Amino acid sequence: MPFESIFSINTGSTEPIYRQLIEQVRRRIASGQLSAGQEIPSVRELAQALAVHPMTVSKAFGLLEAEGLLERRRGLSMVVAAQHTRAKSSASRVELLRPTLEKAAAEVQQLELSKAQAIQLFQTILNEGEKP
Amino acid sequence: MNQNQNSLTTAPTAEARDLCLTYGKQPVLKNLDWKLMPGQVVGLLGRNGAGKTTLLETLLGLREPQSGLVQLLGAPVSALSDDNRARIGYVPQRSDLFEGFTAQQLLDYFKSFYPRWNTEKVQSLMSRWGVPADQPIALMSGGQQQRLSIIRALAHEPDLLVLDEPVASLDPAGRRDFLRELVDQVLDRGTTVVLSTHILSDLERVAFNVAFMRDGRITVQAPLDELLDQTRQVSGSSAQVNLYAERSHAQILRIRSLSAGRSVAMLKISKPQVQDTAGLSIERTNLEELFLELA
Repeated sequence: MPFESIFSINTGSTEPIYRQLIEQVRRRIASGQLSAGQEIPSVRELAQALAVHPMTVSKAFGLLEAEGLLERRRGLSMVVAAQHTRAKSSASRVELLRPTLEKAAAEVQQLELSKAQAIQLFQTILNEGEKP
Repeated sequence: MNQNQNSLTTAPTAEARDLCLTYGKQPVLKNLDWKLMPGQVVGLLGRNGAGKTTLLETLLGLREPQSGLVQLLGAPVSALSDDNRARIGYVPQRSDLFEGFTAQQLLDYFKSFYPRWNTEKVQSLMSRWGVPADQPIALMSGGQQQRLSIIRALAHEPDLLVLDEPVASLDPAGRRDFLRELVDQVLDRGTTVVLSTHILSDLERVAFNVAFMRDGRITVQAPLDELLDQTRQVSGSSAQVNLYAERSHAQILRIRSLSAGRSVAMLKISKPQVQDTAGLSIERTNLEELFLELA
């Protein structure tokens, strides 16, 4: 899959860009869209494509390597690590949503909304995503 | 690629020490200290009138401070050699291009001053950025003049690039292309870059480090990642905010008193610890919120 569709950057976020990149790789590996041996663009390619500082990209790759999601092949290219041969179970994939939903839950409380209202909105958003 | 880390063995590319500069009675730089390390891309942030342009001009030796010292490429800026001058690229806020010249005449003229000149890069940028070679500069649009000014600053492959609001009149596509060019400079040459702009989304992409200027000083300079990871905007009763700052060993980036005994603080906390936070609001921040509080 072209890496422009794997990586995207959301400026103005409280989440630094290197963390956004890490999360995107994590999710693609968990879903099986990226799997063992698949090559990841080089720091140079990704920094140029996204117009971000190369240190930001190398920091993300370094942390993904430390986490065991990526490994360095001979030379400089990075690949998805060998053990990630197929998608994780949906139970462990859904856990990846937890931080985002925890944050949303905290905001629901701050806004003094009911659980039903929040869940209804989430449902609406999910349905919107299904439309072609 | 040069590393961005400060190191005891590396000399700064540019360093300002205890700079003071006053316009009439108006102090602009007040005992300002600042360091740019080799290979760093530093975004300079400050409100309108904070003195960013004055600081950049002083750093380049275009303005003389009342007191203080500027070291540029290892020597006092007042004694900058021609060789070192040729290692600097500068895009001023207001274009200082000779309006009677065409772009080609202007570039040919500047080329004669520099030992190094990347004609291939110039040609490729001119065509990619749609800068007409043979039109008088006076007849070009603001965006074209700005692009030409950037091309002129990149043509001699500087080791230090100083950009003062370089993209104000570029459209989003032009700005993205400019950012890519900056990334290339960093990748290929390890260029040290200081970039002043109010377009925070651009800054966020390319500036690994940010420096906030306020009250005539650089008040905070740090990697942006670190600031976003570690800074919390904490508000509540002043006593509680202070206690929280103390207990979490926070670096207080800024603290402001609000009415009714309340305060709001920007706290940089390297190891957040769970503690009693009842009555406090603790929020993560983005670059815009950092700007609003720190600049």
